Amino acid sequence: MKVSYNWLKDFVDLKGLTPEQIADKLTVSGFEVEEIVYINEHLHDVYVGKIEKIEKHPQADRLVVCSVDVGFKEVQIVTSATNVFEGANVPVSLEGADLCNGVQIKPSNFRGVKSDGMFCSGEELGIDENYFEGASINGILILPKDFVPGTKIEDALLLNDVVFDINVTPNRPDCNSVVGIAREICAMFGKKFKDFDISYKTVGDDVNKYVKVDVETENCPRYSASYIKNIKLTRSPLWLRSRLFSVGIKPINTMVDITNYVLVEQGQPMHAFDYKYLDGHQIVVRQAKKGEKIAVLNGQTYELDKDVMVIADANKPVVIAGVIGGVNSCISDSTTETVFECAVFDLKSVRLTAKKFGLSTDSSARYSKGVNINLPSVALKRALHLVDKLKCGDIVGGIVDFCKTELNQKQVLKISYSKVCKILGFEVSKEEMTKILNGLAIETDIVGDEMTCVVPAIREDIKTVNDIAEEVIRIYGYDFYNNIDGIVFENCSTTMGGFEPRLQFENGLKNILVDEGFYETLNYSLYSASACDKLLLAEDDVRRNVIKVANPISEDLSTVRTVMAHAMLLDVAYNLSVGNKDLRFFEQGKIYLPKKLPLTELPVENDRLSFAVCESGFDFFNLKGVVENLLVGTSLKYKLQRSKEPYLHSGVSADIVAEDGTVVGWFGKIHKTVLKNYDIGQDVYYGELDTDYLSSLPEKEHSTKEVSKFPPVERDIAIVVDEKITNEELMSAIKSASGKIFYDVNLFDVYRSDALGEGKKSMAYKIVFMSEEKTLTGDEINQAVNKILKSLQFRFGAKLREN
Amino acid sequence: MKQKLEEILKNGLCEIEKVSDLKSLDEVRVTYLGKAGVLTQILRGMRDVPAEERREIGSLANSVREQIEKKLSEKWANLENEKLLADMEKEKVDITEPSKGVKRGALHPLTRFNNKFMEMCVEMGFTVIQTPEIETDYNNFEALNVPKNHPARDMQDSLYITENILLRTHTSPAQVRAMHMFKPPFKIVCPGRVYRNDDDSSHSPIFNQFEALVIDENVSLKDFMTMVKEMAVRLYGKDVKMRVRPAYFPFTEPSIEIDATCQMCGGKGCSLCKGTGFSEFFGGGIVNPRILEMAGIDSNKYSGFAFGPGIDRSVMVTNKIPNIKYLFRNDLRFLKQMR
Repeated sequence: MKVSYNWLKDFVDLKGLTPEQIADKLTVSGFEVEEIVYINEHLHDVYVGKIEKIEKHPQADRLVVCSVDVGFKEVQIVTSATNVFEGANVPVSLEGADLCNGVQIKPSNFRGVKSDGMFCSGEELGIDENYFEGASINGILILPKDFVPGTKIEDALLLNDVVFDINVTPNRPDCNSVVGIAREICAMFGKKFKDFDISYKTVGDDVNKYVKVDVETENCPRYSASYIKNIKLTRSPLWLRSRLFSVGIKPINTMVDITNYVLVEQGQPMHAFDYKYLDGHQIVVRQAKKGEKIAVLNGQTYELDKDVMVIADANKPVVIAGVIGGVNSCISDSTTETVFECAVFDLKSVRLTAKKFGLSTDSSARYSKGVNINLPSVALKRALHLVDKLKCGDIVGGIVDFCKTELNQKQVLKISYSKVCKILGFEVSKEEMTKILNGLAIETDIVGDEMTCVVPAIREDIKTVNDIAEEVIRIYGYDFYNNIDGIVFENCSTTMGGFEPRLQFENGLKNILVDEGFYETLNYSLYSASACDKLLLAEDDVRRNVIKVANPISEDLSTVRTVMAHAMLLDVAYNLSVGNKDLRFFEQGKIYLPKKLPLTELPVENDRLSFAVCESGFDFFNLKGVVENLLVGTSLKYKLQRSKEPYLHSGVSADIVAEDGTVVGWFGKIHKTVLKNYDIGQDVYYGELDTDYLSSLPEKEHSTKEVSKFPPVERDIAIVVDEKITNEELMSAIKSASGKIFYDVNLFDVYRSDALGEGKKSMAYKIVFMSEEKTLTGDEINQAVNKILKSLQFRFGAKLREN
Repeated sequence: MKQKLEEILKNGLCEIEKVSDLKSLDEVRVTYLGKAGVLTQILRGMRDVPAEERREIGSLANSVREQIEKKLSEKWANLENEKLLADMEKEKVDITEPSKGVKRGALHPLTRFNNKFMEMCVEMGFTVIQTPEIETDYNNFEALNVPKNHPARDMQDSLYITENILLRTHTSPAQVRAMHMFKPPFKIVCPGRVYRNDDDSSHSPIFNQFEALVIDENVSLKDFMTMVKEMAVRLYGKDVKMRVRPAYFPFTEPSIEIDATCQMCGGKGCSLCKGTGFSEFFGGGIVNPRILEMAGIDSNKYSGFAFGPGIDRSVMVTNKIPNIKYLFRNDLRFLKQMR
């Protein structure tokens, strides 16, 4: 919201207050000033000058030398402009000037003739024809005869304003106006609000004879209109143009300017119709009919439907309500009679229509914030006052006022004074509090602890004691809290802090992965629906039951994820594509599994840890090591089974299956076809764990027993077996054959060769024996080894490998 | 005899002194103390010494042997030490060669920031929880006093799944859930992802916030401010300055926005803080009593404060991250800088 400093002066005495002081106070009181714009920023050292004499330049045909009276001195200006003449008043920029087109003025020499400065065009002053007559011509701006030489140009052209760009919070729609901000400034500085004039003279007669208004839609709670005839359309006076110009609105003609003036000053959007183009002299506020079209002021033609509210005449839509007017009924040079509209439209309806057509107008922006139901009548009178003041038409008596709901009334709040202090945490004296609230036009009376506040009708935001507390503290000043020294939670009960167990558990896993050389990634939980296809999920895979965003930003962000691997593979592919190597990534994230589609209740949000490695020399067993390190600290008892994950290599992957049969994760090499789908040219190893499940397990218990006093003895054996025999089978056979003296067994070599034969492998184990009772003898060890070999031979046909 | 012994001592010590390697030293030992050694021979000849001198000579001979032995062992230790030093010199490695083994990775900067913040909250008595990202329209808006006609409730600004279910637009539904999960007094903080229908160069459709809520008897704005101050000091050091501005949130009243010394420029003023030296720290305020009532908490007895910032920007500032899009791009070259 842009607010002009000069405009504010109409309603509040700003003497002694600089724009900066006002801006600071506005900011700390809840109206953040995002920017202060000085309209005269590029107008210093520019004056009104009168050309006394023009002589030809002795050396150059195209230049002339002018003697100019700039009030406080005579200067000489050399110019090539051809529209200057003796006696003309012109803007003269002198040494030090810094014009808005970047030109900086220094005295210079034009072929031997000194020039003290430069005459300016309208463009060089940042204005155009709309603002000032002659400002758009190709040449110097010729100023009116009555301008006094030596006057600063900013004062002569009323370009001496300062504008605050204020961020008005959504709870204060009343402050999207000059008067709203002026009222606030009054409260902040303890000043009195100067009321505005809404009086006007009519030519009698009755508006109802000329205009009929019908409101047929729910979306228009109030519609006020008036009728003006014998319109004399002219340029508005400079003071009015200046104010519109300051806040970025183009001055056009009196009628249009008045509607804009009221919009900015009162916060009430208005519209002016050309009466002769209103068929049936009728105004109908209704929803558009499907197929209706309207050509509007921005040059576009829109096709309408029932979601769009329009103002229509007897036959056709003439305005998209609250958004933009149609060309067919707008004010033009031929307008002689007009109808003014001041209405309240449903903010949501206006907002959605504006968005639908991609339109943002001053009117739609204002309506989207909410217009008070009381405002139209006041604003309409203010507009009529201006019509009267500018003498630009004859106002017909009476106004049409359709109002569906009751107007807002002052409301009385009865609250507790001590409760206000309790919310603030310190005591504001009754006198101080009363003064602050009265300053905000909240008439307040405090008797004992009982506080009565009469809240003005425009303050729809004030409903409770907390709202009153906020009004008090924002004017009292939040600065108070900057200087307090309090004990933290002085008045609060002691509570025990802690992490939700899952979060703590996940942090532990993350740290393990970091130690294993992994980097944490974060991915969007939305992706393209094609993820399931790329990962080769079967048609009946439950993860194909995806939750779809109803209004996605794009196809790539249309689906809530049900698998982690997609994002991880995209990360790997991206990194490879930019030349990064040796990738170890993990992500802790959620997948979202609907119980039923379409969603009727919230889905299950399942926390998963996914990890991937793309690194030369890394294989399945390295990955298995990572998985074991992740799981060793948990109490999970699990076994590995061949994985059925469709995106993993069927031979080089495993599911982690808990004792209760739950698959708590899987890991393995990524399927070749999947790699191709992601344009990845190297092997990728991937794993995933269900951290919801894992974190729900009881904590791992560590019960220990005494360590043996006697030394362990190691023996190595290498046996040849069929490929199909697994390490696990052999190890458990070794363990059971060793009996009581078994301590440990490890596979330390697997060997295949032609000599061993097709389908055979050599497995070398280091077996450790130990007794808790005595030192083992060579014979005892030999016996045990023999027993093991026999057992392996009997069960698996294993033969001792001969070197 | 006596003279001979003294000569042996003198020569022995001298020879030991001259030796420069262990092997030669051993030879010297054999020469003097070996079975056929000079001193051994002398001692064997003791029986020829007259009885009255034997005592004196014997003791002298022992002393000579002891002195030579001592010298020998000292020299031995010295030479051995020299050899060790020489060997180590030969085994010298280039200490600038790279280390071996798995190199540690790193947590994501968002996680690091979150961890730091959450640990601080835990120390201050907060329980860290997480609540669903896919939320009901009721929890996300209605129960937080966001009016029906608020722009956030249009499809254009939020990502909806059905009419009543959407991807939460802020972490504030955690307030509503906490009020049903815990009995006052309690303190909770909920970090998590939030979603908006917004994707351009400076906005991500997904970003991170956290929500904190304290419900107790006698909680005031002053308590809120002292806590925020403590948090700012712990995060940014004791020289941090604060600035409070009124603000508007539907679920708090009064609502405030708290700025702290800009961590990008240290308060000098930079492009990030638009020259003010301050950047947004927290937004929050006193819980709107309507919200307590809607959750079934007696607003006459209990009050509270709620606050919660977006953290992506803080993470960017703390780590001087040039572009918000880096946070989700997962480029190894970026992530490696977090080690």
